[in-house]
Amino acid sequence: MRVQVKLFAFFREGRFIKEDRELPEGCTAGEVVDALNIAREEVGVLMLNSRHCQFDTVLHEGDIYAIFPVIGGG
Amino acid sequence: MVDDTLAILPLIREQTENGFIAGDAAQKIASRSSLTLAAVETLALQHSILPLRYKRNGLRPAEQLRLFRSSVAIIGCGGLGGRNAEILGRAGIGRLILTDPDVFSETNLNRQIFCTRDSLGQAKVTVLGEALQQVNPALNTSLHQHSFDISSITGADIVIDALDSADARKDLAALCRKMDIPLVHGAVKGWYGQLGVDRRSNSIVSTLYRQGGESTTPPRVLPMTVGLVAALQAAEACKLILGRGNVRDNGWLQCDLYNGDFEAIEQE
Repeated sequence: MRVQVKLFAFFREGRFIKEDRELPEGCTAGEVVDALNIAREEVGVLMLNSRHCQFDTVLHEGDIYAIFPVIGGG
Repeated sequence: MVDDTLAILPLIREQTENGFIAGDAAQKIASRSSLTLAAVETLALQHSILPLRYKRNGLRPAEQLRLFRSSVAIIGCGGLGGRNAEILGRAGIGRLILTDPDVFSETNLNRQIFCTRDSLGQAKVTVLGEALQQVNPALNTSLHQHSFDISSITGADIVIDALDSADARKDLAALCRKMDIPLVHGAVKGWYGQLGVDRRSNSIVSTLYRQGGESTTPPRVLPMTVGLVAALQAAEACKLILGRGNVRDNGWLQCDLYNGDFEAIEQE
């Protein structure tokens, strides 16, 4: 299945801004994070089709999946 | 001493040119009466006379008066907080409540506007308070050199989140929701920043830090990102006070200065 993955802030460094990814059926949000070598504790927000989701949320064909890091500096 | 407000108004009018009164003239009137400079300028604004320092804001006297009667609490006086204080003080907010327990150190020099070699080792809130008086002597500041508590936001119309840790931000957001004060959130890391307005209806800060914390090492923070995000925060604060313009409501703004990419994130 194809899912559009969007990365934000420093998650883009050495990766991409937006990419259509071919993923296995039943793939979860967390598995995509792991496959991108993003540490789960660095993740602030996960959104699937503009709704909040969790690491164990299952993705589906045509989904738009966005991953945001924690940004905390001031 | 001139005590009667009605007696002071003619003095103000006498010093008014084309609808504006200069700072020195207003100060002179204040020193010859029992009124403070802030009270003299309030009286002027109530009669559609603008203090000259606000001329280039281009706001109407009624709006400038609204800003001047407002109180903004700035929590954290480092990169974001210092810039917010500078912008809001110049714009003409009447009262700033500044909270920060720290002193300036050398690693602050890259991004904190009031950090200079002379101010190293001095309390951030004290340095800001003095510098802001040089910019706007009508400004009233309350300085809190301690970690934020309820005294830091009491009486504030708007609170600016300029903290630097996820846990402290969540605590501040909870306190502001309890007090029902809008919290203008901003955060930065490297080339990247985010902005949102946390209210009871959206709990943006809890959303952004939902998954947990961040590394304990101080984040890298570039000055241009700080300047941008602080300016966005100050703009949201002024719009909230003035009651006009589009204030970020449900989602938040992601700022990527490296790729020149800005995206408003809406949540359903």
